[in-house]
Amino acid sequence: MDDIDIMDMDIPDPDELQWLEANSHLHDDFDYDDNDFQQPFPEEIDTHNTHHTPIPQSQPPPIIPLSTRTDSNKRPQLEPPISTTVDSKNEAKLDDSRKRSRVEVEQVVDDKIDDEDWLPPPVPQVEQVVEVFEEMIVSRYASQIDGDFVPVTGPCGDRVYAKISRFGSDDLVKKNKLDSNAYSNGLIAEPVSLLMQRVEQEAVEKALLESFGPEGDVTLPKVPVVNERLWVDKYSPNSFMELLSDEQTNREVLLWLKQWDPCVFGSEIKTTTEDVLSSLRRHTSVAQHQKSNKSYFGKNKEPWQNRETFREYKKSDQENSDSKGSQDLWNKNRKGYGTPEQKILLLCGPPGLGKTTLAHVAARHCGYRVVEINASDDRSSSSIEAKILDVVQMNSIMADSKPKCLVIDEIDGALGDGKGAVDVILKMVSADKKSNTGKEQILEDQSAKGSSKKKSRDTSLLRPVICICNDLYAPALKPLRQVAKVHIFVQPTVSRIVSRLKYICSKEGLKASSIALTALAEYTECDIRSCLNTLQFLNKKKETLNMIDISSQVVGRKDTSKSFFDIWKEIFQKKRVKQERKSFNGCKNVLNEFDHLHSLISNRGDYDLVIDGIHENMLQLNYHDPLMQKTVKCMQNLEASDIIHQYIMRTQKMSLHVYQPAIVISIHGVIAQDERPNIEWPKSFQRFRTTLMEKVDILHLWHNNMTPYISRHLSIKTFVEDSISLLLHILSPPNLRPVALHLLTEKEKKDLVQLVNTMVSYSITYKNIKSNPVSSNLRHEVVLDSSVLTFDPPLGDLIHFKDYISSHFVLASAMKQVLLHEVEKQKILQAGINRSMHLTDVCKENQTLATDKNGRSQSSRSHFASAKKMVDVPNPSKLRECETAAPPASSNTSTSIRNAVATKLKSTESMKKPSRANFNFFERFKKVGSEGSQSTETVQRHPATIERDSRPFLFKFNEGFTNAVKRPVRIREFLS
Amino acid sequence: MLWVDKYRPKALDKVIVHQDVAQNLKKLVTEQDCPHLLFYGPSGSGKKTLIMALLRQMFGASVEKVKVENKNWKVDAGSRTLDLELTTLSSTHHVELNPSDAGFQDRYIVQEIIKEMAKNRPIDTKGKKGFKVLVLNEVDKLSREAQHSLRRTMEKYSASCRLILCCNSSSKVTEAVRSRCLNVRINAPKEEEIVEVLEFIGKKEGLQLPFGFAARIAEKSNRSLRRAILSFETCRVQQYPFTNNQLIPAMDWEAYLLEIASDIMKEQSPKRLFQVRGKVYELLSNCIPPEIILKRLLYELLKKLDAELKHEVCHWAAYYEHRMRLGQKAIFHIEAFVAKFMSIYKGFLISTFG
Repeated sequence: MDDIDIMDMDIPDPDELQWLEANSHLHDDFDYDDNDFQQPFPEEIDTHNTHHTPIPQSQPPPIIPLSTRTDSNKRPQLEPPISTTVDSKNEAKLDDSRKRSRVEVEQVVDDKIDDEDWLPPPVPQVEQVVEVFEEMIVSRYASQIDGDFVPVTGPCGDRVYAKISRFGSDDLVKKNKLDSNAYSNGLIAEPVSLLMQRVEQEAVEKALLESFGPEGDVTLPKVPVVNERLWVDKYSPNSFMELLSDEQTNREVLLWLKQWDPCVFGSEIKTTTEDVLSSLRRHTSVAQHQKSNKSYFGKNKEPWQNRETFREYKKSDQENSDSKGSQDLWNKNRKGYGTPEQKILLLCGPPGLGKTTLAHVAARHCGYRVVEINASDDRSSSSIEAKILDVVQMNSIMADSKPKCLVIDEIDGALGDGKGAVDVILKMVSADKKSNTGKEQILEDQSAKGSSKKKSRDTSLLRPVICICNDLYAPALKPLRQVAKVHIFVQPTVSRIVSRLKYICSKEGLKASSIALTALAEYTECDIRSCLNTLQFLNKKKETLNMIDISSQVVGRKDTSKSFFDIWKEIFQKKRVKQERKSFNGCKNVLNEFDHLHSLISNRGDYDLVIDGIHENMLQLNYHDPLMQKTVKCMQNLEASDIIHQYIMRTQKMSLHVYQPAIVISIHGVIAQDERPNIEWPKSFQRFRTTLMEKVDILHLWHNNMTPYISRHLSIKTFVEDSISLLLHILSPPNLRPVALHLLTEKEKKDLVQLVNTMVSYSITYKNIKSNPVSSNLRHEVVLDSSVLTFDPPLGDLIHFKDYISSHFVLASAMKQVLLHEVEKQKILQAGINRSMHLTDVCKENQTLATDKNGRSQSSRSHFASAKKMVDVPNPSKLRECETAAPPASSNTSTSIRNAVATKLKSTESMKKPSRANFNFFERFKKVGSEGSQSTETVQRHPATIERDSRPFLFKFNEGFTNAVKRPVRIREFLS
Repeated sequence: MLWVDKYRPKALDKVIVHQDVAQNLKKLVTEQDCPHLLFYGPSGSGKKTLIMALLRQMFGASVEKVKVENKNWKVDAGSRTLDLELTTLSSTHHVELNPSDAGFQDRYIVQEIIKEMAKNRPIDTKGKKGFKVLVLNEVDKLSREAQHSLRRTMEKYSASCRLILCCNSSSKVTEAVRSRCLNVRINAPKEEEIVEVLEFIGKKEGLQLPFGFAARIAEKSNRSLRRAILSFETCRVQQYPFTNNQLIPAMDWEAYLLEIASDIMKEQSPKRLFQVRGKVYELLSNCIPPEIILKRLLYELLKKLDAELKHEVCHWAAYYEHRMRLGQKAIFHIEAFVAKFMSIYKGFLISTFG
C-alpha cells in the first residue's frame, strides 16, 4: 500500500543530516492531519514561515468545509494543513541560528485505496520547521499578546499563541537550499516523495546511531536490529487521524474536549471557528444534544457566504436533532463559564479497541498534558482524591507546563477501589452543579467586565476528566453514568484493521496474507492490541502467519467474559458458517462451536442466570416445532439444570457446576436459529419471587394479628388454596342491604352482627386507600372518588389473577363504611372486655389459690367444694356475658361493659366472703405456710407457678376499694 | 366467628369425623404416659383439632389459655452467634411453634426450644404430668438438618418433654424421627362424614337443609372439612333458604386453572406455552403451592381428555412432579409438563384427525 520503499532511498546531504539530527525530536510526533479542527486559518500559520513578508488580511483563507473533505476522503492537496511546531527549545535554537524554513507539504500516498480501505498512514507526512523571528510574538498566554493572534498547538501538545503578523509572504521557501527548482510546481521546493524518503532515511540513521529510538518514532530498521519495543507501542497512533477507532466517536470526544477550551485556556481564544464547529456538530449523531460553549461571532473574519452556510448547518442541525433549547443554551454558554454540560467523559468498550489511545491522542491534540491514573496505581479514596484535585483544580504555576487532562483508565477494574475515584469525581461534579446556579450572577458580572476568567472554585472541576472502562454497567459506575457523557466504542470494521495490520506487517517485513490477517482480526474480535502482539510474537519466532496458526491456538485468546446478552444471543443464534468450509469439515465446525460456547458460558459463570435467560426468551424464538418436541426437549434440559443446581446447592458439591454449560449447549443445538433473537433480561422469575414474598408477608402479618384460637388452625400455606375465596364470599354477603341500622330486620341485624364478629375475630377491617384504576378490575366500578374502602389485609389481591374476572360480590361503599364503623366499635368493646376479663382472671386465680389452701388446711370439705363451685360458676357465666355483650353492642355499648364490670365485682365480692369469714388476709398465708402442702391440687398448680417463681408478683386485692391491700409477695410465699 | 371455628370440637369425645382415632388417643393419654406423636394427613382433615383436643384431655382447660410470644434466641453456633426470632404460642403446659418459619436456621430453633423446656421442667414429678408438650407444625417443611438434630434431642429430653409433630406428608419426615414417634394418620374425611358434620352444624344453626345439598357441598369440597364448612357458610350467606340447585362457589384459583386448562386444549404451540407460563406465574405468586397446581391441572386436563391418553398423561404428570420436588424452580417443571402434554396431545390429534 505504500509506495515508499526503503531500498531506493538516497543519502541526504550532510548538512541536511545534521539539521535533521538536531531536530530529531520533532520527528517523534507526527503531524496532525486534521489541524483544521483547531487551526482554521492555515494561511495565518503560514505567516510564521514568511520572512516578514506581509500577508494581506483582507485575503480570505480558502476554507473548505469539512464535509466535503470527509466525503472525498482524500487529503486536500490544495490547502495543506500545516502545523506549526513551536517548542521552547526549538525556539531558542532557532532564534540564535540561521533563519531557515522548511515546509514539507503532506503527500497523499494512497490514492488508489478506496474509501473504506482508506487509512491514515502513520508515517509523518508533513515535516515542518518553523522559523520564528524575534519580532514575532509568541507567548504561552493569550493575554500577553495584543492584537490578533492564533493559538498554535504543536504535535507534542504545546500550545502557544502567536501574534498575527501584518505581513504575509508569497515566496515561501525561497531560501530552501535543497531543491529550488521544484518550487515552481507548488508550495514546496522538492517533490514530496523525496522529502519523505529523506525523513525516513534520517530516522534510519538515527536508529542506527542510537540503536534504541527514544520515544515513539517510526524508525524503520533496515537490518533487523535488536528492537524490544512492542509493536503495540511502536505503531500506536500518534495523531488524531491515525486512530483506528470509529470516526464519529473520535470526533465527539474531540468536540467534548474542545468545549473545555474557554475554561482552560481562557475565553478570548479563538481556537475553533464556527464553521469547523458546526461541521463537527453535523458529524455528531443526530440525537446528541450538543451544547458547545464556543461560538464567537465577534471577530469572525469569515466570508458572509460561510456564515450563511453555517446558519444553514445550524438550522438543519436543529431540525434534525429537534433540540429546541440548544440555541438558547448555546447563547447562554457563550456568556461565561466555559465548561461543557457534562464534565466527565466516559468511554467504554471491549478491550483493545483503542479507548486509551483515543483519550491520550485527543487530549494531547487539544493541548493538554495527560495525567493517567490506572488500575495499577494506588486507588484508595484519599490518595486518589489528592491526585485528582491536583490535576483538576491546580492551575499550572510553571510557565511552561501545559494544562492537565485527567484520564482515569480502567475505572471499573477494581470495584472497591475504583469507587473511591468515582466518589471523588461525583462530589466535584455535584459541587459544581450547586455552585453554578449561585454563581451564575457573578459570572455574568465578570463576563461583563471581561476580566479574569480564572475563577477559583473550591471543589469544582476545572479540567477535563476522561474515564475509561470496559463494562459500562458495572455497579460502581452507576452514579457516574448519569452525570457523564458516555461514548460506547464499537468495533472498527475488519477491513480497516486488516489494512493497518498489513501496513505494519510490511513495515516489519513479516509476510502475512490478508486472508490470514482477516482471520486473525475476526478471531480476536478486532482487538488490535491482541492482533499486534500475536503478529510480533510470530515475527520473533520467524514464522509466517497462516490460517492454521490461528485455529491451532497459537494465538492467545483473551479470557474475556462476555455480557449475558451476548451469551444468550450466541445460544439462540446459529453461527453463520460459510458454505465451503462447512462442506470441508462440518464435524470440526461443530466441535469448534461447542468449544466456543462452552468457554463462553463457563467464562461468564452464574449459570442460574443464564438458564433463567434461556427460559425467559426461549419461547419467543421462531423455531419450527409442529409437535412441540423441541420445546419438550428444551424444557427437559432446563429441568435437568434446575435439578443439578438444587443438588449442588444442597450438597455443596460445587465441582458439579462444570456440567451446566453442556446443558446450555444442548439447548443451543435444539433451537438455535439463524435470525437475530430479540432478547430480554429475565425479569419474570424475580418479579414472581418478590410478589410472592410480599403476599406471604401480608399473610404473616395478618396471621399474627389474629387471636391464637383461630390462627393456630389456619395455615398460611394452605389458606389461599382452600379458604380465601370462601372467606371473601362470606365477608361480603350479597343480601345485606345498605340501609341504616335501625331499618334492618331482626334477622338482618343478626347477620350483620355475625359478620362483624367474624371480621373482628379474623382481624379484618376496611381501610381507605387511594384507588388506582388498574386494580379496580372488579365488577365494582361505581367508585369515582379518589379513595376506596378495601380490606385491610389486602385479601382481595390474593385472588386477583391477570385476565381473570372473579365473581365476588363487592359491597357498596356505604355498607363498607357501616361495617368499618361497627368493627372499630366492636374492637374497642372487646378490648374493654378483655381488660375486665383479665382483672377477674387475676382475682379468680388468687381466689382459687386461697380457697384451695384454705379448704385443705382449715375449713371443711364442703366449704371448699362450695368455694370451688362458686369459682367455677361465675366463670362460664361471665364468658357468656361477654359473648352476649357483643351482639347488642351496637345499641348498648356502655351498659354491657358496666354489666360485665358489675358482675365481676359481684363475683369477687362473693369469692372473698368465705375466706374472709375465717381469716385475716395475711394470716391465712402464714398458716398455710406452716402446713405441708402435699395434696394433688397444689401439685397441679406447680407448673404454672414455677415459672413466675423468680419474679416478684404484684398481688392486688380489691383495688380501688376501701378494703384494698397492696403488697409485693413472692409466689414462693404462697407455696412454702 | 366462622362456623369452622365455632363448631370445632374442643374435646376428644365431641369429635365427629375421626372418632376411632380420638378414642384411641384418649385411651393413650389416660394411662398417664404419652409417647411422642406424629400426626400426618392432608390439610383440612382435622389434625390440629385433634391435637388441641388431645392437649385439653391431657391438661384440662388451662391449655386453652395461651399467649403469643415473639421469642428471641441467641444461639451460639460455633464461631458466631445467631439471633433468631420466632412467634410461639404457649400455655403453661405446652408450646406451639412453626419452626420452618425460621428458614434454614430451623435446627437451632428446634434444639433451643427443647432445651429451654427441659430446663424449666416441672419440679414436682408426682404431679399429673411431669412433662410439657411441644407442638411442632409443618415438620415436613423442616430442613433435613433440623430433623436430624431433632432425633437426638427427642431422646435426650424425653423425660421432660413430649413432642407432637404435625405435617401433611410423613414421607418428608425422616425415618429416624418417624420411628421415634407414634404415627397417627388422619385421613381426609369421607364424604359421608362431611355430610354428617354439615348436618350437625345445620341443626345447631337451625337451618333447613334440602336433601342432597350437604352431599353436593361435600362432593365439591375435595374432602377437606374446612373447605366444606366454609362453603356451607358461604352458601348460607349468599342465599337462604337453600335451594337444591344452588350454586356452590368455586375457588378462584381453580376457576383460573380451568381457564389455563382450556387454553392448553385449544392450542398447542410455544406461543401458547408462553401465555400459560404467565398464568402459572400468577397462580404461583398468589401463594398456591406448585404441587397443587400441577395436580389440579392434571385433574382438569384429564376431564377433557380422550381415555387412551389418560394413562400416559398421568405418568408424565407423576414424572414431572417428582422432578419438581427434586428441583427448585417449580415453574420449569410445571411448564415442562405442559409442554409434554401439548406434544402428546398434538401428536394424538394429528394421528386421529390427520
